[in-house]
Amino acid sequence: MLKQAVALSALMLLAGAAQAQEKTLTISVYAFAQDEYKELLYAPFEKTCGCKLVIETGNSIERLAKMEANKASPVIDMAVMSTADALQASRAGLVDKIDTAKLTNFDKLYDLARDPNADSMSVGYTFYATSIVYRTDKMKIDSWADLLKPEIAAHVAFPNITTNQGPPALYMLQQAMGKDSPDLKEAIAAVGAKKDDIVTFYVKSSQLVQLMQQEEIWAAPIGRFSWAPFTKLGLPLGWATPKEGQTGGMNVMVVTKGSKKRELALQFMDYWLSTEVQAKLAEKLVDSPANKEVKVSPDVAENITYGAETAKSLKLIPAAVALDQRDAWLKQWNSKVGQ
Amino acid sequence: MFHNRTEALLLALPAAAFAAIVFLVPVVVLLSESFRSPAGWSLAAYWTFFSEPLNQAVFWRTLKLGLQVTAVSAVIGYAAAFAIVSLPPGSKGRMVGLIMLPLMISPVARTYAWIVILGRTGIVNQALHGLGLTDAPLRILFSETAIFIGLLQLFLPLMIISLISALENLPRDVVPAARVLGANWLQIFWKVILPLTREGLVIGGTLVFTGSLTAYITPAILGGSKVLMLETLLYQRVTVANDFVSASVIALILVVMSFATNLLLKRIATARART
Repeated sequence: MLKQAVALSALMLLAGAAQAQEKTLTISVYAFAQDEYKELLYAPFEKTCGCKLVIETGNSIERLAKMEANKASPVIDMAVMSTADALQASRAGLVDKIDTAKLTNFDKLYDLARDPNADSMSVGYTFYATSIVYRTDKMKIDSWADLLKPEIAAHVAFPNITTNQGPPALYMLQQAMGKDSPDLKEAIAAVGAKKDDIVTFYVKSSQLVQLMQQEEIWAAPIGRFSWAPFTKLGLPLGWATPKEGQTGGMNVMVVTKGSKKRELALQFMDYWLSTEVQAKLAEKLVDSPANKEVKVSPDVAENITYGAETAKSLKLIPAAVALDQRDAWLKQWNSKVGQ
Repeated sequence: MFHNRTEALLLALPAAAFAAIVFLVPVVVLLSESFRSPAGWSLAAYWTFFSEPLNQAVFWRTLKLGLQVTAVSAVIGYAAAFAIVSLPPGSKGRMVGLIMLPLMISPVARTYAWIVILGRTGIVNQALHGLGLTDAPLRILFSETAIFIGLLQLFLPLMIISLISALENLPRDVVPAARVLGANWLQIFWKVILPLTREGLVIGGTLVFTGSLTAYITPAILGGSKVLMLETLLYQRVTVANDFVSASVIALILVVMSFATNLLLKRIATARART
C-alpha cells in the first residue's frame, strides 16, 4: 500500500515536471461561447504552436483586479476586454505597447479596430452595433427618443447602466434629445422620469427573448450579437435604424506588462485576427469580424455586425469618456432611476 | 462517551481549524475592510453609505420585505403545519415531500416560471381579466410584489418544516386540556401553542428572514434593477464599481440584521413564555 502510494506520488511529480516544461500561454477572456472558441481558436492554435493555452474566464472587473494584484509577477499573459477597460488598464500601467509589426494580419483590420484608444496598447478583434429590436406590428421607431413615447415606454426593456449596452443607448438618447454633453445627465433624467412606465432595466440580454416571447415587452435596445435568438421567435420583429444612427461597442486584445510570453501572446493574437479564424467565429455567430477580408454568407451577415459601411457608421462612445464618466453616470442613474 | 474533555476537543480540532481557516478568517478580513480608512480605523464608510438616499431606501426595502415574508410565512406556516401534523403518517410523509419539492428545483428555473405566471399575458392576469376584476393587465413583474411572492414561495417550506417538527413535539393533551378549561382557539394558540412551539418559530423565522436577506437570484430576476435590494446592490458595487469597501459595508449590515432578528425572535418567544 505504502509502496504504491510512493510510486504514485513519484509519478505525479514527474508528470508535473513534464507539464512545467511545456510552453504555456495564459489568457483571460469573456466566459461566453467557450465551446466554440475551443473548437475554432484554442485547439487549432495549440496544434500549430506546440504550446498549451490556460484559459481564465470572468468579467472585466475581475480580470482587471487580478492583473492589478499580480502586477509584480503577471499570471495572465494576454487578455481581452472592452476599449474602456483597456484604457483603464493602460492608465494603470498594466499593459504593454503592442508591436503591430509582428501581427501579419494587422493591415487587414478595419480602421476603427487598429488602435481604438490611440495609445498603441490595444487591438480590436470584434465590434458590434447596438440598436433597437422592436415589434414592427405595434410601433414605428425612427429615433432613439421614440423609446420614451408614452405609448411605447410601457413596453420597453431598457439596458441597465451597468451593462455594456446601457451607456451607448443613453448616449444615443442624449443625441436624440439634441444634447451632446458626455455626462448623459439629460438622457438619464429622461429615462428616470419614465422609470415607472418602463418594464424593466435589464441586466442580461438573454432574459429579453423570454420577455419578448410572452409579449411583456415590444422593444429593447440590444447589441447585434444577441439578435439571432429573436429572429427565431416567429414574431414580427425588426432591427431599428434610427435617424441618429446606431451605436455599439468594441472588444480589444491587450498584452500584460511584464509578461514573459510576449512573443507567444502576439503569435496567438495574430492567429485570432487571421481571416480564417475570424471567418469561422463569424460563421458560428460568436464574434463579428474586425478583419475586413472576412467574407460571410448573407444569412450570417444578417445576424452579426458586418461590413465596411456598418463599421464606419457606428457612433461609439470614446473609451476615455466612458472611463472618466463611469462613476458619475452610475451615481446619476442610481439617484434618478434606481430609487 | 469520551474519557476526558481533551480527547473530545482533539477530535473536534481538525473541523474547527478548517472552519476557522477557510471561513472565519477570510470573512473577518473581508468585513474589516469596511472599517478601514486612510486615517486608520473608522466608521466613515458606514456614514457615507447611509448618507446616500438610494442606500437608505434599499436598506428599508430589504428590511421591510424580509419582515413581511417572515410574518406571512409564519401565519401560513402555522396553518399548514397544523393541518399536516393531524394527518395519518402516510399522507403526512407525502405532504412533507410535496412541500419540500420546490426546494429541489433550481432557483433560476423556479424564478423564471414566475416571470411567465406573473407577466402581462400570464395566468394571473388572464384570470383577473376573465373574472372581470381588471380592465388592463396588472404590472406585477419587476415590482416589490413580485419579489415578495418569489421569496415567500422560496422560503415558506423552511417555515412549515420547522413548525411541523415543533408541533410534533407538542404534548398531545395540552390542547384538549386548554379547551376543557374554557379557552377559545385564539387563547389556545397564543397562550399554549405559541409558547410551546417557539423554538420552531425562532428557527423557521431566522431561516426565512436570513434567506430573504441573502437571496440573490429571486430579487435579481423578479425585481431587477428597478427594485434594488441590499443583495443586488452589493453585487452592483462589486461587479460594476469594483467598490469592495461599500460592498463590505452591505455585507456586514446583512450579517448584523440576521443576528439581530434571531435575537429579537428569541426574545419575543421567551417573553411570551413567561407571561
